[in-house]
Amino acid sequence: MHLRKISTAAVAAATALTLAACGSENDSGDTGDDPVAEVSGAQAEDEGTVLDQPFDKPELLLTDTNGEPYDFVEETARRATLLYFGYTHCPDICPLTMSNIAVATAGLTEEQRADLRVVFVTTDPERDTPEELGSWLANHDPEFTGLTGDFETIQEAALALGVAIEPSYEDDNGDIVSTHGTQVLAFLPTDDKAHVVYTEGVTAQTFERDLPGLIAGELP
Amino acid sequence: MIRRGIPAVAAALALALGGCGDDGGGEPELEAGGAFIPEPVTADMAGGFLTVTNTGDADDTLVSVTSDLTGTVEFHETVDNAMHQVESLPIPAGGELSLGRGGTHLMLIDLSRKPTEGETVSLQLHFETSDPITLDVPVEAATHTGE
Repeated sequence: MHLRKISTAAVAAATALTLAACGSENDSGDTGDDPVAEVSGAQAEDEGTVLDQPFDKPELLLTDTNGEPYDFVEETARRATLLYFGYTHCPDICPLTMSNIAVATAGLTEEQRADLRVVFVTTDPERDTPEELGSWLANHDPEFTGLTGDFETIQEAALALGVAIEPSYEDDNGDIVSTHGTQVLAFLPTDDKAHVVYTEGVTAQTFERDLPGLIAGELP
Repeated sequence: MIRRGIPAVAAALALALGGCGDDGGGEPELEAGGAFIPEPVTADMAGGFLTVTNTGDADDTLVSVTSDLTGTVEFHETVDNAMHQVESLPIPAGGELSLGRGGTHLMLIDLSRKPTEGETVSLQLHFETSDPITLDVPVEAATHTGE
């Protein structure tokens, strides 16, 4: 993870160099956009970030992988809850995130597992049917909950939690482009608020370390 | 960060080594390594990651990848948490092409089988100038990041 920071500094230096010497060079990858919500400051990348101002649980009425209505607030009340927004036609970050969590849930006791909810909300409801979501998640952990529904409803809930997602669209290649969140939110069972955010660099070990405490209502 | 960084670094290195990359003469000298495929969730798709280093003094381009696992291997760049297919990937002289988690990656689609951890998958990298490179790529745990 330190490598990543070093490379960033190197990039800055290298970019300056490039601009100075090759003014016409077009660094096509660089849009100048930084991530909208950079949560971590001095925080190590392999740790969750404890929020000063926790997020309320958003109202979210969706459909679960059995095709049944699912009221997120009601179903996850007084349970430690991990929430992630992603899509299944995603070869990299979405399965990595869910695999990291699955490694950690596999190490929990039955009692701990019963007190935890892991909820994956699709950002691509058009392609992620309840059936597809169900079989995809079952490959990680059959206990995971998958939700789909109206994109605007999902986007609004995500935004309320600082997660920016855009509707899927077809690009010039004819490919469907979807977006995923970059963070997992952890709600505590004590007040049903999201107190911890896990960003993209977090590993399975972090979830292994933190989950038992979160389930017991403790901050990492 | 990494995705954006490497081309800039590469460009600067190219510069240091003799100009702005569009030099005449010379040949690319490629070496591929660090390749892995995280065990995919289903046989629908898998990601692929690797680094190609160019120690030569001419640019090259990765134009296609073939595999025993599928007939379709695409290049995808990640921009603002969304993936966009690109036709080819540059490997600047004196620089490298780095495909890593969260950034640019290979996307293997409609696999003939779902590879599992411990197996190897054959990937053949095809370049604009250099000869193809064949890699036996290990299938790693789904949580593997190569770091």
